[in-house]
Amino acid sequence: MVERSGNGQSRRGFLKAGLAGGAALAGSLAAGRVLAADDPAITQIQDWNRYSGDGVDAHPYGMPSPFEKDAVRRNVAWLTADPVSSVNFTPLHKLDGIITPNGLCFERHHGGAAVVDPAKHRLMINGLVEKPLVFTMDDLRRFPRVNKIYFLECAANSGMEWRGSQLNGCQFTHGMVHCVMYTGVLLKDILAEAGVKPAGKWVLAEGADSAAMTRSIPMEKALDDCMVAFAMNGEALRVEQGYPVRLVVPGFEGNMWVKWLRRLEVGDEPWEQREETSKYTDLLANGKARHFTWAMDVKSVITNPSPQAPITHGKGRLVLTGLAWSGNGTVARVDISTDGGRNWKPARIDGPSLPMALHRFYYEMDWDGSEMFLQSRAMDEKGFVQPTKQQLRAVRGANSIYHNNGIQTWYVDTNGAAENVEIS
Amino acid sequence: MSRFPEIALAAALAALCLSGPAYAGDPAAGEQVFKRCKACHAVGDGAKHRVGPELNELIGRTAGTAEGYRYSSAMEKAGAGGLAWNAETLAKFLDDPKGMVKGTKMSFAGLKKPADIDNVIAYVATFSKPSEAMDAAPKPEDKKTEAAPTEPKEESARAEPVKPAVAAAPAGEGGGLNYHLGRTATAGEIAAWDIDVRPDGVGLPDGSGTVAQGEKLFDAQCSSCHGDFGEAVGRWPVLAGGQGTLKDDRPVKTVGSYWPYLSTVYDYIRRAMPFGNARSLSDDDVYALTAYVLYLNDIVTEEDFELSKANFGTIEMPNAQNFIADDRAEEPQYLANKNNPCMTDCIAGVAKITMHAEVLDVTPDVQDGDDKKPSAGIE
Repeated sequence: MVERSGNGQSRRGFLKAGLAGGAALAGSLAAGRVLAADDPAITQIQDWNRYSGDGVDAHPYGMPSPFEKDAVRRNVAWLTADPVSSVNFTPLHKLDGIITPNGLCFERHHGGAAVVDPAKHRLMINGLVEKPLVFTMDDLRRFPRVNKIYFLECAANSGMEWRGSQLNGCQFTHGMVHCVMYTGVLLKDILAEAGVKPAGKWVLAEGADSAAMTRSIPMEKALDDCMVAFAMNGEALRVEQGYPVRLVVPGFEGNMWVKWLRRLEVGDEPWEQREETSKYTDLLANGKARHFTWAMDVKSVITNPSPQAPITHGKGRLVLTGLAWSGNGTVARVDISTDGGRNWKPARIDGPSLPMALHRFYYEMDWDGSEMFLQSRAMDEKGFVQPTKQQLRAVRGANSIYHNNGIQTWYVDTNGAAENVEIS
Repeated sequence: MSRFPEIALAAALAALCLSGPAYAGDPAAGEQVFKRCKACHAVGDGAKHRVGPELNELIGRTAGTAEGYRYSSAMEKAGAGGLAWNAETLAKFLDDPKGMVKGTKMSFAGLKKPADIDNVIAYVATFSKPSEAMDAAPKPEDKKTEAAPTEPKEESARAEPVKPAVAAAPAGEGGGLNYHLGRTATAGEIAAWDIDVRPDGVGLPDGSGTVAQGEKLFDAQCSSCHGDFGEAVGRWPVLAGGQGTLKDDRPVKTVGSYWPYLSTVYDYIRRAMPFGNARSLSDDDVYALTAYVLYLNDIVTEEDFELSKANFGTIEMPNAQNFIADDRAEEPQYLANKNNPCMTDCIAGVAKITMHAEVLDVTPDVQDGDDKKPSAGIE
């Protein structure tokens, strides 16, 4: 409804109509008054209160309530040439907490989502190792297992916003991020099983999909915290997330987290693959391009309110919430501005604060119904503060595509509608 | 692609036949390298301590514990911290002795060639008992102890997984070095998957192809997406043109204007093209197509130009020199605010809207199929 309407006129029209009723209701309740008429939600017996629901055999794999049908991934057809080599976006405005449900984790793949038969899947290690090895999925499950919660952000998240505000919704401006608990084994244990030779400084990770996706991972990172994961949020990886096994490269750009992982090659030099030369390099204004920009910078976004999630309850109590993350570790603080970055107040981080995981923040306030320029600004444990978009453009120009962690502004009008804007 | 395919194969064969670990290096070559060590170290029958300790039974020895030799306190401390000599720790030490054990009295600067290191370790290992040599394989425990002297690793509160006790089966029989999991990859399997090509030419297969041959293949299999001249159809990747545009408001990033390495072109066509029919081209086809992409970009100009493994390294890509290291952490917007975000009166004046998302009219769901492309898309 609201979120699907991008036409200013019709969207405002809708909001006006929707808010009139909502505001009246909210206003009367806020004042502690009694409704003129009894609430039929109470006085009438609802169907679900009278008739039996589905039995336990109706849904072997449970799905969300039909009333949540708008909490879905969406793509933007014109962004890429073909949906088979494209991206869709996590509906951040529909979520809470720090864990992304498996079915809502954004997808990015370069040759479609490969459906791999785990019985026929193999993971090979070759190159500068003592012993080139082949593992089956069963073999991988016999290594010591670890469970870790990490965010995964595409380096191009917010990439469409480099030149200015474009897409009206945090799902589209910031939805190339998700955060789940991975279960798997440490990459260093697998590498040790093959025995990395002293000259081995890089690991090439390769996928089994039709893009045979490849990235060069520095050995230091490979031996630090990388995982070879086969489960997310307690169940097997989803097909589109690399079933049956993917690489996890905490804090580093999502493109390196090779899905459908079938091969690890140890070498003494990087391979300079397509995805680390022609793509995922950051073109600067002076014509130079940064290369191997792996870590994801400190970043945050207010998910509610936002263009797809306007304020519908009128003035009074307002819970503002959003997400913050950093590839450098934990998020130390998040600040909120309602006046476009002139003044800031600390938000409250709630839930676990884990390194390289999403952080959930809240800012509870009384909204007086006046217009706001909402911004959030994160600082990570290393002291890096999220910059403004103007600051980023001043340093990098507007052609970088990747690693845009600039502060997002939502303009909230007096009706509670929110827009993606750029401000002075 | 393994840099030493013949060694990888030999190692694989050795692993199948022997119960001991296969060392990376060649002991015979290592004997030559050891001449540089002989001034200070002896090994073999009757070897005695000299300037440095004798090296018999070195593999498996705890650092700083050869009887009767006066070590630096640094080396003794490293040994007390758990450092033991195996292929991995020795390699690290030989690469940079003072870097690994700060304060060691070994004045040797280290071996610069990885192959020399591998070879000399293989040579020295022939003077260690095979049972101890088996321990030479890097194990997680070794990794930890090796790091201990210099940088104690921060461990989480979670207990480390319990490692299985000693080897139940010899590592050589197919399984890995610590848990004996997996099996040895065959040469045929490695050849089937290891098709990557590096800028230095490692991994290039034998073969060749001409611009003219590439044009035929391109017209038939590539132009439907990339256009007749690499100009692209729709939002498929543009392959040609764009040289000199990287500083423009709308840079055109193509193989000719942007890609730093020709090897990437070969590698990518070979592994992933044509889109939807990957791995269907022969190695010669890929040479021909790579040659044609060079031609489309005016990097080669003759239609009878033939690209081959032999002349591949002579092609220089125009933009090769314009890639720089990641220096984001030093950018002014980070340095100015580090640890100290402004909280009040940070910007003068009231905020004014300078741009609406709606103005650009590219928000999803209002798209009507016209040519409303984003000004900055994803690649």
